[in-house]
Amino acid sequence: MATSSTVLLPGDSISPSALPKPQNRKKHLTLGPGLRHMPPNTIASTIAGLLVTDSKKNAAWVEYNSGRYLPAAGDLVIATVNTSGGENFNCLITPNTPYASLPHLAFEGATRKTRPQLSSNSLVYCRVINPGKDSFPELTCVDPSTGKSEGLGPLKGGMVFKISLGMARRLLAGKKGGVTLLEGLSEKLGFEVAIGRNGVLWVDGGSVKATLAVGRAVQEVDEQALGEKGQKKLVEKVLRGL
Amino acid sequence: MAPEAHLSHLHRADGSATYTHNGYSVIGAVNGPIEVQRRDEMPEEATLEIHVRPAAGIGSPKERHLETLLHNTLRSIILTRSIPRTLVQITLQVRSLPEGGTVTDVNTSLALLPHLLQTALLTLLSASIPLSTTLTSVLVAIPASKSSKPIAPLLAPTADDLLRARPIRSTHVFAFSGNRKLLLNESHGVFTYEEWDEACEMAEEVCCKDKGGVGLNEGVEVDGSQVNLDEWLRSVVKRKVEVEQRWRIAP
Repeated sequence: MATSSTVLLPGDSISPSALPKPQNRKKHLTLGPGLRHMPPNTIASTIAGLLVTDSKKNAAWVEYNSGRYLPAAGDLVIATVNTSGGENFNCLITPNTPYASLPHLAFEGATRKTRPQLSSNSLVYCRVINPGKDSFPELTCVDPSTGKSEGLGPLKGGMVFKISLGMARRLLAGKKGGVTLLEGLSEKLGFEVAIGRNGVLWVDGGSVKATLAVGRAVQEVDEQALGEKGQKKLVEKVLRGL
Repeated sequence: MAPEAHLSHLHRADGSATYTHNGYSVIGAVNGPIEVQRRDEMPEEATLEIHVRPAAGIGSPKERHLETLLHNTLRSIILTRSIPRTLVQITLQVRSLPEGGTVTDVNTSLALLPHLLQTALLTLLSASIPLSTTLTSVLVAIPASKSSKPIAPLLAPTADDLLRARPIRSTHVFAFSGNRKLLLNESHGVFTYEEWDEACEMAEEVCCKDKGGVGLNEGVEVDGSQVNLDEWLRSVVKRKVEVEQRWRIAP
Protein backbone atom coordinates (compact mmCIF):
# COMPACT_ATOMS: atom_id res chain seq x y z
CA MET A 1 0.00 0.00 0.00
CA ALA A 2 1.46 3.30 -1.02
CA THR A 3 0.60 6.30 1.07
CA SER A 4 1.19 9.53 -0.71
CA SER A 5 1.35 12.74 1.22
CA THR A 6 -1.31 14.48 -0.84
CA VAL A 7 -3.64 16.41 1.42
CA LEU A 8 -6.98 16.94 -0.27
CA LEU A 9 -9.65 19.56 0.23
CA PRO A 10 -13.19 19.02 -1.00
CA GLY A 11 -13.41 19.86 -4.68
CA ASP A 12 -9.75 19.20 -5.47
CA SER A 13 -9.47 17.19 -8.65
CA ILE A 14 -6.93 14.41 -8.64
CA SER A 15 -4.31 14.48 -11.33
CA PRO A 16 -4.03 11.27 -13.39
CA SER A 17 -0.42 10.90 -12.22
CA ALA A 18 -1.57 10.59 -8.60
CA LEU A 19 -3.95 7.72 -9.38
CA PRO A 20 -2.71 4.15 -8.89
CA LYS A 21 -0.91 2.46 -11.75
CA PRO A 22 -2.23 -1.06 -12.04
CA GLN A 23 -0.02 -3.88 -13.26
CA ASN A 24 -3.10 -5.66 -14.48
CA ARG A 25 -4.69 -3.51 -17.16
CA LYS A 26 -8.01 -5.32 -17.01
CA LYS A 27 -8.77 -4.23 -13.46
CA HIS A 28 -11.07 -1.26 -13.20
CA LEU A 29 -10.21 1.68 -11.00
CA THR A 30 -12.10 1.54 -7.71
CA LEU A 31 -12.97 4.73 -5.89
CA GLY A 32 -13.35 4.50 -2.14
CA PRO A 33 -14.87 6.90 0.38
CA GLY A 34 -14.31 10.59 -0.17
CA LEU A 35 -13.87 10.45 -3.95
CA ARG A 36 -16.36 10.94 -6.72
CA HIS A 37 -16.21 10.61 -10.45
CA MET A 38 -17.53 13.43 -12.57
CA PRO A 39 -17.98 12.34 -16.16
CA PRO A 40 -16.15 12.26 -18.47
CA ASN A 41 -12.90 11.83 -16.57
CA THR A 42 -12.52 14.07 -13.57
CA ILE A 43 -12.01 12.52 -10.16
CA ALA A 44 -12.56 14.93 -7.29
CA SER A 45 -12.50 14.62 -3.54
CA THR A 46 -15.51 15.42 -1.40
CA ILE A 47 -13.87 15.21 2.01
CA ALA A 48 -10.77 16.76 3.55
CA GLY A 49 -8.14 14.13 4.19
CA LEU A 50 -5.19 12.18 2.88
CA LEU A 51 -5.20 10.53 -0.54
CA VAL A 52 -4.30 6.84 -0.31
CA THR A 53 -3.78 4.63 -3.34
CA ASP A 54 -3.32 0.91 -3.71
CA SER A 55 -1.87 -0.11 -7.04
CA LYS A 56 -2.38 -3.83 -6.43
CA LYS A 57 -6.13 -3.42 -6.07
CA ASN A 58 -6.19 -0.40 -8.37
CA ALA A 59 -8.06 1.57 -5.76
CA ALA A 60 -7.93 5.09 -4.38
CA TRP A 61 -9.64 6.60 -1.38
CA VAL A 62 -9.43 9.43 1.11
CA GLU A 63 -8.32 8.61 4.62
CA TYR A 64 -9.91 10.71 7.35
CA ASN A 65 -10.73 10.22 10.98
CA SER A 66 -13.56 12.50 11.96
CA GLY A 67 -17.28 12.75 11.64
CA ARG A 68 -20.09 10.30 12.00
CA TYR A 69 -19.99 6.68 10.87
CA LEU A 70 -21.80 6.09 7.59
CA PRO A 71 -22.77 2.45 7.05
CA ALA A 72 -21.23 0.65 4.09
CA ALA A 73 -22.09 -2.82 2.84
CA GLY A 74 -19.95 -5.54 4.43
CA ASP A 75 -18.88 -3.51 7.47
CA LEU A 76 -18.85 -5.19 10.85
CA VAL A 77 -20.67 -3.07 13.41
CA ILE A 78 -21.83 -3.34 17.00
CA ALA A 79 -25.49 -2.36 16.99
CA THR A 80 -27.75 -1.65 19.95
CA VAL A 81 -31.18 -3.26 19.93
CA ASN A 82 -33.85 -0.68 20.56
CA THR A 83 -37.17 -2.40 20.06
CA SER A 84 -38.37 -5.69 18.66
CA GLY A 85 -40.83 -5.52 15.81
CA GLY A 86 -42.96 -8.23 14.25
CA GLU A 87 -40.21 -9.79 12.20
CA ASN A 88 -37.08 -7.86 13.03
CA PHE A 89 -35.21 -6.03 15.73
CA ASN A 90 -34.91 -2.28 15.36
CA CYS A 91 -31.27 -1.49 16.04
CA LEU A 92 -29.18 1.66 16.23
CA ILE A 93 -25.76 1.76 14.60
CA THR A 94 -25.08 5.37 15.62
CA PRO A 95 -27.32 7.51 17.83
CA ASN A 96 -30.01 9.72 16.27
CA THR A 97 -30.12 7.87 12.98
CA PRO A 98 -32.98 5.86 11.49
CA TYR A 99 -33.34 2.31 12.84
CA ALA A 100 -31.42 -0.45 11.15
CA SER A 101 -33.39 -3.66 10.82
CA LEU A 102 -32.02 -7.00 11.94
CA PRO A 103 -34.40 -9.84 11.04
CA HIS A 104 -35.25 -12.28 13.84
CA LEU A 105 -34.21 -15.12 11.55
CA ALA A 106 -30.81 -13.64 10.67
CA PHE A 107 -29.07 -15.56 13.48
CA GLU A 108 -27.30 -18.90 13.25
CA GLY A 109 -29.76 -21.74 13.60
CA ALA A 110 -32.72 -19.45 14.23
CA THR A 111 -36.18 -20.69 13.32
CA ARG A 112 -39.58 -19.22 14.06
CA LYS A 113 -39.63 -21.07 17.36
CA THR A 114 -35.99 -20.74 18.43
CA ARG A 115 -35.30 -17.14 17.57
CA PRO A 116 -33.16 -15.17 20.03
CA GLN A 117 -34.92 -13.05 22.59
CA LEU A 118 -33.11 -9.73 22.75
CA SER A 119 -34.28 -7.06 25.14
CA SER A 120 -33.79 -3.38 24.41
CA ASN A 121 -30.24 -2.06 24.87
CA SER A 122 -28.64 -5.45 24.25
CA LEU A 123 -25.69 -5.48 21.88
CA VAL A 124 -25.34 -7.40 18.65
CA TYR A 125 -22.23 -7.88 16.55
CA CYS A 126 -23.43 -7.90 12.99
CA ARG A 127 -22.62 -7.18 9.38
CA VAL A 128 -24.20 -4.45 7.26
CA ILE A 129 -25.76 -5.94 4.15
CA ASN A 130 -27.46 -2.81 2.89
CA PRO A 131 -26.13 0.61 3.87
CA GLY A 132 -29.61 2.03 3.44
CA LYS A 133 -29.01 4.98 1.17
CA ASP A 134 -32.41 4.55 -0.42
CA SER A 135 -34.17 2.86 2.49
CA PHE A 136 -33.25 1.92 6.05
CA PRO A 137 -30.03 -0.01 6.76
CA GLU A 138 -30.20 -3.79 6.96
CA LEU A 139 -28.08 -5.99 9.21
CA THR A 140 -27.43 -9.70 9.49
CA CYS A 141 -25.65 -12.05 11.89
CA VAL A 142 -25.12 -14.94 9.47
CA ASP A 143 -23.15 -15.46 6.33
CA PRO A 144 -25.90 -15.82 3.71
CA SER A 145 -23.99 -18.46 1.72
CA THR A 146 -23.09 -20.81 4.59
CA GLY A 147 -25.72 -19.99 7.22
CA LYS A 148 -22.98 -19.89 9.86
CA SER A 149 -22.55 -17.03 12.28
CA GLU A 150 -18.74 -16.74 11.95
CA GLY A 151 -18.36 -14.97 15.25
CA LEU A 152 -21.36 -12.68 14.83
CA GLY A 153 -24.32 -12.65 17.18
CA PRO A 154 -25.51 -11.20 20.47
CA LEU A 155 -22.78 -9.93 22.80
CA LYS A 156 -23.39 -10.98 26.39
CA GLY A 157 -21.65 -9.39 29.37
CA GLY A 158 -18.63 -7.19 28.91
CA MET A 159 -18.49 -3.47 28.39
CA VAL A 160 -18.57 -1.04 25.50
CA PHE A 161 -15.87 1.59 24.87
CA LYS A 162 -16.01 4.42 22.39
CA ILE A 163 -13.07 4.63 20.01
CA SER A 164 -12.46 6.79 16.97
CA LEU A 165 -13.50 5.50 13.56
CA GLY A 166 -9.88 5.47 12.44
CA MET A 167 -8.91 3.33 15.44
CA ALA A 168 -11.68 0.85 14.64
CA ARG A 169 -10.39 0.60 11.08
CA ARG A 170 -6.83 0.11 12.34
CA LEU A 171 -7.88 -2.65 14.73
CA LEU A 172 -9.75 -4.46 11.96
CA ALA A 173 -6.93 -4.00 9.45
CA GLY A 174 -4.65 -6.38 11.36
CA LYS A 175 -0.92 -5.86 10.80
CA LYS A 176 -1.35 -2.83 8.56
CA GLY A 177 -3.13 -0.99 11.36
CA GLY A 178 -0.07 -1.20 13.58
CA VAL A 179 -1.93 -2.09 16.78
CA THR A 180 0.07 -4.65 18.74
CA LEU A 181 -1.51 -3.84 22.09
CA LEU A 182 -4.16 -6.58 22.11
CA GLU A 183 -1.66 -9.30 21.20
CA GLY A 184 0.67 -8.03 23.88
CA LEU A 185 -2.04 -8.10 26.51
CA SER A 186 -3.33 -11.52 25.45
CA GLU A 187 -0.03 -13.13 26.37
CA LYS A 188 -0.82 -12.70 30.04
CA LEU A 189 -4.53 -11.96 30.08
CA GLY A 190 -7.55 -13.77 28.73
CA PHE A 191 -10.24 -11.59 27.20
CA GLU A 192 -12.66 -11.31 24.31
CA VAL A 193 -13.05 -8.28 22.06
CA ALA A 194 -15.39 -7.30 19.26
CA ILE A 195 -14.62 -4.28 17.10
CA GLY A 196 -17.39 -2.36 15.36
CA ARG A 197 -16.60 -0.09 12.44
CA ASN A 198 -19.04 2.37 13.97
CA GLY A 199 -16.42 3.29 16.57
CA VAL A 200 -17.49 0.83 19.24
CA LEU A 201 -15.22 -1.60 21.05
CA TRP A 202 -16.71 -4.38 23.17
CA VAL A 203 -14.48 -6.05 25.72
CA ASP A 204 -15.16 -8.95 28.07
CA GLY A 205 -12.25 -9.79 30.33
CA GLY A 206 -14.06 -12.03 32.82
CA SER A 207 -13.75 -9.49 35.63
CA VAL A 208 -14.64 -5.82 35.65
CA LYS A 209 -11.05 -4.91 36.43
CA ALA A 210 -9.61 -6.75 33.45
CA THR A 211 -12.33 -5.48 31.13
CA LEU A 212 -11.71 -1.88 32.12
CA ALA A 213 -7.95 -2.27 31.84
CA VAL A 214 -8.16 -3.60 28.27
CA GLY A 215 -10.78 -1.06 27.14
CA ARG A 216 -8.98 1.90 28.64
CA ALA A 217 -5.66 0.77 27.17
CA VAL A 218 -7.14 0.70 23.67
CA GLN A 219 -8.64 4.14 24.20
CA GLU A 220 -5.26 5.43 25.33
CA VAL A 221 -3.56 4.07 22.22
CA ASP A 222 -6.25 5.82 20.19
CA GLU A 223 -6.05 9.20 21.89
CA GLN A 224 -2.29 9.43 22.19
CA ALA A 225 -1.58 7.75 18.82
CA LEU A 226 0.96 5.43 20.42
CA GLY A 227 3.44 3.65 18.20
CA GLU A 228 4.81 0.15 18.67
CA LYS A 229 7.19 1.15 21.47
CA GLY A 230 4.59 3.16 23.28
CA GLN A 231 2.15 0.26 23.10
CA LYS A 232 4.71 -2.15 24.53
CA LYS A 233 5.27 0.18 27.46
CA LEU A 234 1.53 0.48 27.97
CA VAL A 235 1.12 -3.31 27.97
CA GLU A 236 3.69 -3.58 30.75
CA LYS A 237 2.01 -0.82 32.71
CA VAL A 238 -1.44 -2.41 32.39
CA LEU A 239 -0.22 -5.89 33.33
CA ARG A 240 1.61 -4.51 36.35
CA GLY A 241 -1.58 -2.80 37.50
CA LEU A 242 -3.59 -6.01 37.47
CA MET B 1 -3.35 38.83 10.84
CA ALA B 2 -4.15 35.24 10.03
CA PRO B 3 -7.33 33.76 11.47
CA GLU B 4 -7.02 31.10 14.13
CA ALA B 5 -8.85 27.79 13.94
CA HIS B 6 -9.28 24.78 16.21
CA LEU B 7 -10.93 21.71 14.77
CA SER B 8 -12.86 18.84 16.39
CA HIS B 9 -12.51 20.05 19.97
CA LEU B 10 -16.08 19.26 21.08
CA HIS B 11 -16.25 15.52 21.69
CA ARG B 12 -20.02 15.07 21.64
CA ALA B 13 -20.62 16.72 18.27
CA ASP B 14 -19.82 15.00 14.99
CA GLY B 15 -17.77 17.98 13.91
CA SER B 16 -16.76 21.22 15.55
CA ALA B 17 -14.51 24.22 15.11
CA THR B 18 -13.66 27.49 16.75
CA TYR B 19 -12.66 30.35 14.50
CA THR B 20 -11.09 33.55 15.81
CA HIS B 21 -10.32 36.53 13.63
CA ASN B 22 -10.19 40.29 14.15
CA GLY B 23 -11.76 40.07 17.59
CA TYR B 24 -14.62 37.85 16.42
CA SER B 25 -14.77 34.37 17.89
CA VAL B 26 -17.33 31.80 16.79
CA ILE B 27 -17.81 28.21 17.95
CA GLY B 28 -19.49 25.91 15.48
CA ALA B 29 -20.81 22.37 15.80
CA VAL B 30 -22.25 19.99 13.23
CA ASN B 31 -24.39 16.95 13.85
CA GLY B 32 -25.07 14.82 10.87
CA PRO B 33 -26.08 13.01 8.87
CA ILE B 34 -28.82 12.19 11.40
CA GLU B 35 -32.49 11.31 11.30
CA VAL B 36 -34.69 14.03 9.90
CA GLN B 37 -38.16 14.94 11.09
CA ARG B 38 -40.84 13.59 8.84
CA ARG B 39 -42.15 17.01 7.78
CA ASP B 40 -38.63 18.22 6.79
CA GLU B 41 -37.67 15.02 5.00
CA MET B 42 -36.77 15.32 1.34
CA PRO B 43 -36.72 12.06 -0.63
CA GLU B 44 -33.63 12.85 -2.66
CA GLU B 45 -31.75 15.44 -0.67
CA ALA B 46 -30.40 16.14 2.76
CA THR B 47 -32.05 18.78 4.88
CA LEU B 48 -29.87 21.54 6.26
CA GLU B 49 -30.61 23.26 9.53
CA ILE B 50 -28.65 26.28 10.72
CA HIS B 51 -28.82 27.96 14.09
CA VAL B 52 -27.01 31.20 14.76
CA ARG B 53 -26.78 32.22 18.39
CA PRO B 54 -25.71 35.74 19.24
CA ALA B 55 -23.02 36.59 21.79
CA ALA B 56 -25.63 37.98 24.20
CA GLY B 57 -29.35 37.48 24.49
CA ILE B 58 -31.60 35.35 22.37
CA GLY B 59 -31.86 35.26 18.61
CA SER B 60 -33.70 38.02 16.76
CA PRO B 61 -34.80 38.51 13.13
CA LYS B 62 -31.22 39.59 12.43
CA GLU B 63 -29.99 36.09 13.25
CA ARG B 64 -32.83 34.57 11.22
CA HIS B 65 -31.66 36.61 8.25
CA LEU B 66 -28.08 35.40 8.68
CA GLU B 67 -29.35 31.83 8.95
CA THR B 68 -31.14 32.17 5.62
CA LEU B 69 -28.04 33.53 3.92
CA LEU B 70 -25.88 30.75 5.38
CA HIS B 71 -28.47 28.13 4.47
CA ASN B 72 -28.55 29.11 0.83
CA THR B 73 -24.78 29.40 0.52
CA LEU B 74 -23.93 26.16 2.31
CA ARG B 75 -26.63 24.26 0.50
CA SER B 76 -24.84 24.99 -2.75
CA ILE B 77 -21.58 23.41 -1.58
CA ILE B 78 -22.86 20.41 0.42
CA LEU B 79 -23.47 17.35 -1.75
CA THR B 80 -26.99 16.97 -0.41
CA ARG B 81 -27.87 14.29 -2.94
CA SER B 82 -25.25 11.89 -1.64
CA ILE B 83 -26.88 11.78 1.81
CA PRO B 84 -30.61 11.77 1.03
CA ARG B 85 -33.32 11.79 3.74
CA THR B 86 -30.93 12.94 6.42
CA LEU B 87 -30.43 16.09 8.43
CA VAL B 88 -27.25 18.12 8.78
CA GLN B 89 -27.54 20.40 11.74
CA ILE B 90 -25.13 23.30 12.11
CA THR B 91 -25.05 25.44 15.25
CA LEU B 92 -22.95 28.57 15.35
CA GLN B 93 -22.47 30.31 18.66
CA VAL B 94 -20.91 33.75 18.55
CA ARG B 95 -18.58 33.83 21.50
CA SER B 96 -17.12 37.30 21.36
CA LEU B 97 -17.37 40.41 19.24
CA PRO B 98 -14.63 43.03 18.91
CA GLU B 99 -14.81 45.85 21.41
CA GLY B 100 -16.35 48.97 19.98
CA GLY B 101 -17.78 46.99 17.11
CA THR B 102 -21.20 48.53 17.50
CA VAL B 103 -20.23 52.20 17.26
CA THR B 104 -18.94 51.98 13.70
CA ASP B 105 -21.44 52.71 10.98
CA VAL B 106 -21.10 49.20 9.55
CA ASN B 107 -24.06 46.88 9.62
CA THR B 108 -23.15 44.53 12.47
CA SER B 109 -24.74 41.44 10.98
CA LEU B 110 -22.89 42.03 7.71
CA ALA B 111 -19.58 42.30 9.55
CA LEU B 112 -20.29 39.01 11.29
CA LEU B 113 -21.33 37.11 8.16
CA PRO B 114 -17.87 36.20 6.76
CA HIS B 115 -16.82 34.86 10.14
CA LEU B 116 -19.93 32.70 10.36
CA LEU B 117 -19.36 31.35 6.86
CA GLN B 118 -15.74 30.50 7.59
CA THR B 119 -16.68 28.75 10.84
CA ALA B 120 -19.46 26.80 9.16
CA LEU B 121 -17.07 25.52 6.51
CA LEU B 122 -14.49 24.45 9.09
CA THR B 123 -17.11 22.55 11.08
CA LEU B 124 -18.31 20.79 7.92
CA LEU B 125 -14.73 19.79 7.13
CA SER B 126 -14.35 18.51 10.68
CA ALA B 127 -17.57 16.49 10.40
CA SER B 128 -16.47 15.03 7.04
CA ILE B 129 -19.75 15.97 5.39
CA PRO B 130 -19.38 15.47 1.61
CA LEU B 131 -18.81 18.84 -0.04
CA SER B 132 -18.50 19.74 -3.70
CA THR B 133 -16.00 22.48 -3.01
CA THR B 134 -14.63 24.71 -0.29
CA LEU B 135 -15.63 28.25 0.56
CA THR B 136 -13.79 31.36 1.70
CA SER B 137 -15.34 34.64 2.65
CA VAL B 138 -14.18 38.18 3.37
CA LEU B 139 -15.53 41.62 4.25
CA VAL B 140 -14.62 44.71 2.21
CA ALA B 141 -15.43 48.20 3.44
CA ILE B 142 -15.25 51.35 1.30
CA PRO B 143 -14.79 54.55 3.29
CA ALA B 144 -16.36 57.78 2.10
CA SER B 145 -13.80 60.17 0.63
CA LYS B 146 -13.93 63.79 1.59
CA SER B 147 -12.13 64.93 -1.53
CA SER B 148 -12.92 63.81 -5.05
CA LYS B 149 -10.08 61.28 -4.90
CA PRO B 150 -11.40 57.80 -4.17
CA ILE B 151 -10.05 55.96 -1.12
CA ALA B 152 -8.75 52.42 -1.35
CA PRO B 153 -11.22 49.87 0.04
CA LEU B 154 -10.37 48.20 3.33
CA LEU B 155 -9.97 44.43 3.11
CA ALA B 156 -11.02 42.36 6.14
CA PRO B 157 -10.81 45.44 8.37
CA THR B 158 -10.58 45.22 12.13
CA ALA B 159 -12.94 47.21 14.34
CA ASP B 160 -10.16 49.76 14.87
CA ASP B 161 -9.61 50.15 11.13
CA LEU B 162 -13.29 50.83 10.65
CA LEU B 163 -13.38 53.32 13.49
CA ARG B 164 -10.44 55.24 12.06
CA ALA B 165 -11.81 55.22 8.53
CA ARG B 166 -15.21 56.61 9.49
CA PRO B 167 -17.51 57.43 7.79
CA ILE B 168 -17.85 54.14 5.89
CA ARG B 169 -19.87 54.50 2.72
CA SER B 170 -20.50 50.89 1.84
CA THR B 171 -19.63 47.38 3.04
CA HIS B 172 -19.58 44.22 1.01
CA VAL B 173 -19.34 40.55 1.93
CA PHE B 174 -18.05 38.17 -0.69
CA ALA B 175 -17.84 34.39 -0.54
CA PHE B 176 -15.95 32.45 -3.16
CA SER B 177 -15.88 28.74 -3.83
CA GLY B 178 -12.62 26.82 -4.26
CA ASN B 179 -12.93 27.15 -8.04
CA ARG B 180 -13.14 30.97 -7.97
CA LYS B 181 -16.91 31.18 -8.34
CA LEU B 182 -18.74 33.91 -6.48
CA LEU B 183 -21.15 32.16 -4.13
CA LEU B 184 -22.51 35.02 -2.08
CA ASN B 185 -22.49 38.78 -2.20
CA GLU B 186 -24.21 41.02 0.30
CA SER B 187 -23.67 44.74 -0.05
CA HIS B 188 -24.84 47.57 2.12
CA GLY B 189 -24.61 51.33 1.56
CA VAL B 190 -24.05 53.56 -1.44
CA PHE B 191 -21.58 52.52 -4.10
CA THR B 192 -20.95 52.65 -7.84
CA TYR B 193 -20.44 49.75 -10.21
CA GLU B 194 -16.72 50.54 -10.40
CA GLU B 195 -16.38 50.49 -6.64
CA TRP B 196 -18.17 47.16 -6.44
CA ASP B 197 -15.95 45.74 -9.16
CA GLU B 198 -12.82 46.85 -7.34
CA ALA B 199 -14.06 45.42 -4.04
CA CYS B 200 -14.95 42.12 -5.72
CA GLU B 201 -11.54 41.85 -7.33
CA MET B 202 -9.82 42.54 -4.04
CA ALA B 203 -11.89 39.89 -2.30
CA GLU B 204 -11.20 37.35 -5.03
CA GLU B 205 -7.48 38.00 -4.72
CA VAL B 206 -7.45 37.20 -1.02
CA CYS B 207 -10.04 34.39 -1.05
CA CYS B 208 -8.88 32.28 -3.96
CA LYS B 209 -5.58 30.65 -4.72
CA ASP B 210 -3.29 32.14 -7.33
CA LYS B 211 -4.05 31.12 -10.84
CA GLY B 212 -0.32 30.92 -11.42
CA GLY B 213 1.61 33.33 -13.56
CA VAL B 214 1.11 37.06 -13.54
CA GLY B 215 -2.44 37.98 -12.65
CA LEU B 216 -4.32 41.03 -13.79
CA ASN B 217 -4.65 42.24 -10.22
CA GLU B 218 -0.95 42.55 -9.67
CA GLY B 219 -1.15 46.27 -9.21
CA VAL B 220 -3.79 46.08 -6.48
CA GLU B 221 -2.23 46.76 -3.13
CA VAL B 222 -3.13 44.03 -0.77
CA ASP B 223 -2.48 44.75 2.86
CA GLY B 224 0.80 43.01 3.64
CA SER B 225 -0.53 41.30 6.76
CA GLN B 226 -3.53 39.77 4.96
CA VAL B 227 -3.05 36.07 4.23
CA ASN B 228 -4.50 34.22 1.30
CA LEU B 229 -7.53 32.43 2.71
CA ASP B 230 -7.30 29.43 0.39
CA GLU B 231 -3.70 28.81 1.47
CA TRP B 232 -4.71 29.31 5.08
CA LEU B 233 -7.50 26.73 4.74
CA ARG B 234 -5.04 24.25 3.25
CA SER B 235 -2.70 24.72 6.18
CA VAL B 236 -5.58 24.11 8.62
CA VAL B 237 -6.53 20.87 6.85
CA LYS B 238 -2.88 19.83 6.67
CA ARG B 239 -2.63 20.18 10.44
CA LYS B 240 -5.84 18.14 10.87
CA VAL B 241 -4.44 15.35 8.67
CA GLU B 242 -1.13 15.41 10.52
CA VAL B 243 -2.88 14.92 13.86
CA GLU B 244 -4.99 12.08 12.44
CA GLN B 245 -2.04 10.31 10.84
CA ARG B 246 0.51 10.75 13.62
CA TRP B 247 0.19 7.08 14.64
CA ARG B 248 1.95 6.14 11.41
CA ILE B 249 5.15 7.85 12.48
CA ALA B 250 4.88 7.36 16.25
CA PRO B 251 7.75 5.36 17.81
